[in-house]
Amino acid sequence: MLDAFSRAVVSADTSTSTVTDIAALKAFVASGNRRLDAVNAIASNASCMVSDAVAGMICENQGLIQAGGNCYPNRRMAACLRDAEIILRYVTYALLAGDASVLDDRCLNGLKETYAALGVPTTSTVRAVQIMKAQAAAHIQDNPSEAFAGAKLRKMGTIVTEDRCASLVAEASSYFDRVISALS
Amino acid sequence: MKSVVTTVIASADAAGRFPSTSDLESVQGSIQRATARLEAAEKLASNLDAVASEAYNACIKKYPYLNNAGEANSTDTFKSKCARDIKHYLRLIQYSLVVGGTGPLDEWGIAGQREVYRALGLPTAPYVEALSFARNRGCAPRDMSAQALTEYNALLDYAINSLS
Repeated sequence: MLDAFSRAVVSADTSTSTVTDIAALKAFVASGNRRLDAVNAIASNASCMVSDAVAGMICENQGLIQAGGNCYPNRRMAACLRDAEIILRYVTYALLAGDASVLDDRCLNGLKETYAALGVPTTSTVRAVQIMKAQAAAHIQDNPSEAFAGAKLRKMGTIVTEDRCASLVAEASSYFDRVISALS
Repeated sequence: MKSVVTTVIASADAAGRFPSTSDLESVQGSIQRATARLEAAEKLASNLDAVASEAYNACIKKYPYLNNAGEANSTDTFKSKCARDIKHYLRLIQYSLVVGGTGPLDEWGIAGQREVYRALGLPTAPYVEALSFARNRGCAPRDMSAQALTEYNALLDYAINSLS
């Protein structure tokens, strides 16, 4: 498992040179608190995000909860919720580390094959991941939509910066995209 | 590669939970210290050749017997290899400064070092002398800030201890 710093070291070592791109790491350090806030925003809303993502996926495809569907009966629905939480957890770890290696090694490696063997439909899984991607962006920016959330609206109340953490939103989205491309 | 962040993630993963507040606190502690470490890494990287050659000269000065025929510093090939080794240690120290732990030194420098030097018949005392010279040569605020120098010296001490 690597983080942003050890990733720089490993790539410098391949050419036996010193780490020269210190500026990028300094930027990582400078935005460290924002990153921790972003991780906290996802971790604090995790169960809500997971259940909404899976519910959204089912709303769009009711066949999943009818007899023969992959979220029927409760046992399989529970497995689905568990898997969505696992994926979200590893994306959170990757966001904390600033590097995708933990997501790749511990979550995505062999996931597609496992799902193929178990008969899990990847299109539905991808849809749930897409919903979580949008939710994560909203929570990192701390501007979840009132129209979608309604009475369940939750805000972290952290200090909102001018760019609304655009780089962190982009980074988190790239990890979700990584999950999507690994599955499809 | 072991660092504060990877250790925190590994233990959170073992428990199957999201990063908790205390996890984030530990990461923040590491990030706070990172400024000084990165300063030391930056300064060391820009002067690596000079630091390495001074350290090399110091150890040959203390152990002139190494220049005798058949000894480790006797031919031009040997000389360049000795200088390269010193530079290698300093590069790993720079990596450790970047990572914020001794992972790179442990994994790429210290693991197997004793066996290699024994197999090649190399004395470790000159390495200790070279690194000790670098250890005592650094000066704050001439070379880097005091906190950065502390981080740098701590890693040199770690390397020295592994060799002695």
